[in-house]
Amino acid sequence: MKTSTKFAIASVAAGALLLTACGDDSDDDGDNTSGGGGAGGGEESVESSGTLSFYTDKAAWEPQFDRVSEVSEDEIGFDLDFTGYSDSDAYTAFIKQSFRTDEKPTLFTWHTGDKLGELVDEGLVAPTSEIWSEAISNGDIPADLEQYYTYDGEQYCVPLHVSYWVMYYNTHVFDEHGLQPPQTWDDLINIADTLAAEGVPAFYQTNILFSFVWFQTLLAGSDPDLYEALATGEASYTDPGVVAAMEQWREMMEAGYFSDPGAADDPQVLLNNGDVAMLNFGTFFTGALNELGMVSGEDYDLFVIPNVDPSLEQTSLIVESGPLCAAEEADDRAEALNYFDWWVTADAQSAWADARGDVSFNPGAEVNDERLADLGEQAGSDDVRLIERYFEATPPSVLTVALDEFGAFVTNPGDPMPHLEAIQAEAEAHWANQ
Amino acid sequence: MTATFAQQEAPAGTGRGSGSGGPRPYRWSAWGFTAPGVLIVAVLLYLPFLWTTFLSFTRYNGLGSPEWAGLDNYQAMFSDPALLTSLRNTALWVAGTIIVPVGFGLLIAVLTYNMRFGAWFRLPFLIPYAISGVAVGVIWSFILQSGGALSQALDTVGVPGADSRWLLDAPLNTFVMILAAAWQASGVNALLFVIGLQSIPKEPVEAARVDGASGWRLFRSILWPMLRPLTTVVVGLSIVASLKTFDVVWVMTQGGPGRSSETLAITMYRETFVDSRYGLGGAVSVFLTVVTLTASIAYLRRQLSERKAL
Repeated sequence: MKTSTKFAIASVAAGALLLTACGDDSDDDGDNTSGGGGAGGGEESVESSGTLSFYTDKAAWEPQFDRVSEVSEDEIGFDLDFTGYSDSDAYTAFIKQSFRTDEKPTLFTWHTGDKLGELVDEGLVAPTSEIWSEAISNGDIPADLEQYYTYDGEQYCVPLHVSYWVMYYNTHVFDEHGLQPPQTWDDLINIADTLAAEGVPAFYQTNILFSFVWFQTLLAGSDPDLYEALATGEASYTDPGVVAAMEQWREMMEAGYFSDPGAADDPQVLLNNGDVAMLNFGTFFTGALNELGMVSGEDYDLFVIPNVDPSLEQTSLIVESGPLCAAEEADDRAEALNYFDWWVTADAQSAWADARGDVSFNPGAEVNDERLADLGEQAGSDDVRLIERYFEATPPSVLTVALDEFGAFVTNPGDPMPHLEAIQAEAEAHWANQ
Repeated sequence: MTATFAQQEAPAGTGRGSGSGGPRPYRWSAWGFTAPGVLIVAVLLYLPFLWTTFLSFTRYNGLGSPEWAGLDNYQAMFSDPALLTSLRNTALWVAGTIIVPVGFGLLIAVLTYNMRFGAWFRLPFLIPYAISGVAVGVIWSFILQSGGALSQALDTVGVPGADSRWLLDAPLNTFVMILAAAWQASGVNALLFVIGLQSIPKEPVEAARVDGASGWRLFRSILWPMLRPLTTVVVGLSIVASLKTFDVVWVMTQGGPGRSSETLAITMYRETFVDSRYGLGGAVSVFLTVVTLTASIAYLRRQLSERKAL
């Protein structure tokens, strides 16, 4: 081969690679909406049918999203192109990076609190104030939820789901030991004592991710004002009330109430097998139990956890609400907002509650499981004080440290002060920057 | 391009000796052929490293634009007590990886390389190398979790230790994870050592045998010194691999409980992707790179200078 030919081949190869490496997707606009109204991306051309790209870190919920997608296609002509991540950290990084590309996520799930605030600050999510105002006025969304979605007076995203944190219990274990659901905190402790004496761990506990659960239960059930003040930086983690909650937690661990925090088995499996008697979890957990073939009311049941402090006027009920968001600069932003209009309706929420086996934020939605339906009504009554879950209520940097410290605390129960001081140090650093 | 074509028209060979790289047209085509490789290395390795280094001097949460922060991230990193734990665990991984999988691999190799059907004895040790580090972590999690397979086995045969919290207590959790990683790496180290043993000339070994050397004496005085070049490679690779230990730890403990089993690579991931502190994660990443390069260069220099001295 002549030198000039070699050079030409080499130049073409290098050039092709350079073009491949440097090429952007700017000419691919037509592909990223799959007919979802992306052509031109202008607000004027709103499509009446198509497919909306949808991203979530709830990969396990794909069958439920698929069912709702079929309903939405029938009712409003739009279905969802589902992409699920099972690793939350990878998902977060993916969504953040996608905002830097031409492939903005049309619809995506996120977290309320500071995590949503970060996106709002950068102008990355579409405001939804009009949807909220209409939905609240016609009763589709309870006004209580608005606070979790409001930033500088404007609302962003809509609720994907609402879950209340309750106590699930294995009915067979309760029957075997002659136990009844508790009415008071003392009843609950008596149940735990009975089970501990029989060598059955009363409560599930883990040292990874959900290590915060019993902290929130004990503190919100004994001093909800202090719990909420922690989230806003108005109280310290070393306050006597917080220390007392941690001490109580330690005493409960020493009394043998909890399962091994290092067990890697799924909590639903532990409950199903009767390896633990009770699970302190959000109502989204119902789906996981049903998938195991457990029947609500027969194999498992649930109750609202009584307050630690019986003198409190309202029962503290932990609530979490995950948002469904639309990217502000998505080509099919208008279609996404139309999808939200449908999503908050009672019809859509009935389909969602049915698919998930969970409660819905829409009071008009039909919830087939009567226990969950009762819980939804109870949550809306004056006897209950809804309190935001620790995971969303706490600033992310403080949360990361707190999860580690709670994880270490449940693994080696001891003096809670070093753990609380570590969390407080991070909280002070966080609030000093605000 | 005009100049390029002008050069192409020149007869081949006329430029020979005019520069250090051979005839000019030949040099140009050489550049053309190497360009794809250079480009791939530049785009996929150098650019990300430079970007990470830049980020390490900024405050950045993955959204918007990075803000210049000077040395704040490095200051925060070195004042964090968790970094000390991370450094200690990484040092344990380096020492453990050299002692266990390298040592065990050498033992397997020496015992089997001259043995009849030795390859069949080595095969079971090699099989774990075919699976990923994540799979190794998942398998050993089931074995080592509280009340897991190991605890149940110990309990069944009545051996003490059934109550041990293998993955919960530090530094026990790091030790058992090193053993889990050794389960995977020993086989391939054995294979490399066998290659080294088989490449040793027969004459000095035979001569030593004629002189009456055998067993430990033969190994220490003849085989071990002649294995030196390969040992340098195996230990060097093990040092680098252990410094960036991530997958097994992430799957088995996620660096916990309470950051007690974190390594530098876990710290880097955690700061970047869990906490969205890309700047701090970048600083840990740069620090890890410096540690890895320093350790590798120092080790190789020492080995090479010792060989020269010989």
